[in-house]
Amino acid sequence: MGGETVQFLGALAAVVALVAITYVLGFRLSGRISSIEEAAELFRLAPGGFEPASIALDEKGEAAIARDGVGRIALLIQHGSQFVVRELPDGTPIRAVEGRLEIEPVPAARLRIGDDAGDWATTDIDANSG
Amino acid sequence: MPFDPVAIAIPVFVVLILAELLWLRRKGERHGYEWRDTGTSLAIGLGSTVAGALTGGVTAALLVWLHTLSPLSIGWAWWAWPLCFVLDDLAYYVFHRSAHRVRWFWASHVNHHSSQHYNLSTALRQSWTGFFALSFVFRMPLALIGFEPGMILVCAGLNLVYQFWIHTEAVKRMPPWFEAVMNTPSHHRVHHAVNPRYLDRNFAGALIIWDRLFGTFAPEDDTDRIRYGIVSQLGTFNVFYAVFHEWIAIARDMWRAPWRHKLSYLLRAPGWSHDGSRETSDLIRERWQRTQKDRHGS
Repeated sequence: MGGETVQFLGALAAVVALVAITYVLGFRLSGRISSIEEAAELFRLAPGGFEPASIALDEKGEAAIARDGVGRIALLIQHGSQFVVRELPDGTPIRAVEGRLEIEPVPAARLRIGDDAGDWATTDIDANSG
Repeated sequence: MPFDPVAIAIPVFVVLILAELLWLRRKGERHGYEWRDTGTSLAIGLGSTVAGALTGGVTAALLVWLHTLSPLSIGWAWWAWPLCFVLDDLAYYVFHRSAHRVRWFWASHVNHHSSQHYNLSTALRQSWTGFFALSFVFRMPLALIGFEPGMILVCAGLNLVYQFWIHTEAVKRMPPWFEAVMNTPSHHRVHHAVNPRYLDRNFAGALIIWDRLFGTFAPEDDTDRIRYGIVSQLGTFNVFYAVFHEWIAIARDMWRAPWRHKLSYLLRAPGWSHDGSRETSDLIRERWQRTQKDRHGS
């Protein structure tokens, strides 16, 4: 085996070891949004700008949904211990089911917002009655 | 290259990452690292060493060839070392500024900014496609001036090694004299921020003087929490997506654009679009400044 191959395998072993140590040391927390204010700050970083007019926070702070002044809707989705903001295309179906929002194109978005869920639904009333 | 500072420094990098992990755990700051994010950073770093091994010889050969064309031969005099380091750092500043202002170069550099974390492992998210993007051209003038190719490569390596330690939140501020001259964790946190006020600021490698000189310096404001990453956060830990996504996006944009705008998608600033549907860093900052004025009524 050549010197460069040995060097590469050594580096690869170090990478695996460091990732394992990071995991074992507990650096595997999921992101939590602590407040509406924090969610608003994150929504404002959306590409193209997004000034939230109303925000609903997931009960555990694992996601958030917001509507701006012109009716656009955006989500904060967990990405490890951080969040990414995603604006939903116009007409994206949002179903309210037992206090939970289901957004088909974004299955990663799990939003349990309780009684207000119906306010965010975009599908017809029958579909949202469950 | 007989003396490669980066190769020598790698074990030190590993030890310092371990030290930062233990320090954060002791402080109870479990959001400082995320194991999958760390995996992505380290895998990109490992891949970049492979890319460097495959293309480094060509870069060195080009430097040697250009050096033979130079009317000057500075040689290995002791005073040439600090001079070469400073001029190489200026070349790095020009490269780095271009890497944020020209989409072609950004496509190669973006993976360095793709983590939403800021820790020592982030430093290792180095480019795989820098050679393809012709990033090496920025250092070529040094060989034409007459600096020895070996000296240029060692200075470039030392510059890269210097930049490792500034990727941390563990160090708040260095002494004022140091902050005035050198690139520091504080200055570089600003560079990795997506907060509108900080976009495209602090391009320095080792010396922050270039940003102060050319009007691209922004100090860190402790009242504004920094959010790291890129304007359109990736939302994935996929190594290959992180490395190649901007190249793919350029190809898609050029394919769809009218003929007269195709090259602009390659050469204009990241975020530029022919129909104004997207925002460059300058436009994001202008929008933010308007919002601030509206909020504070001034």
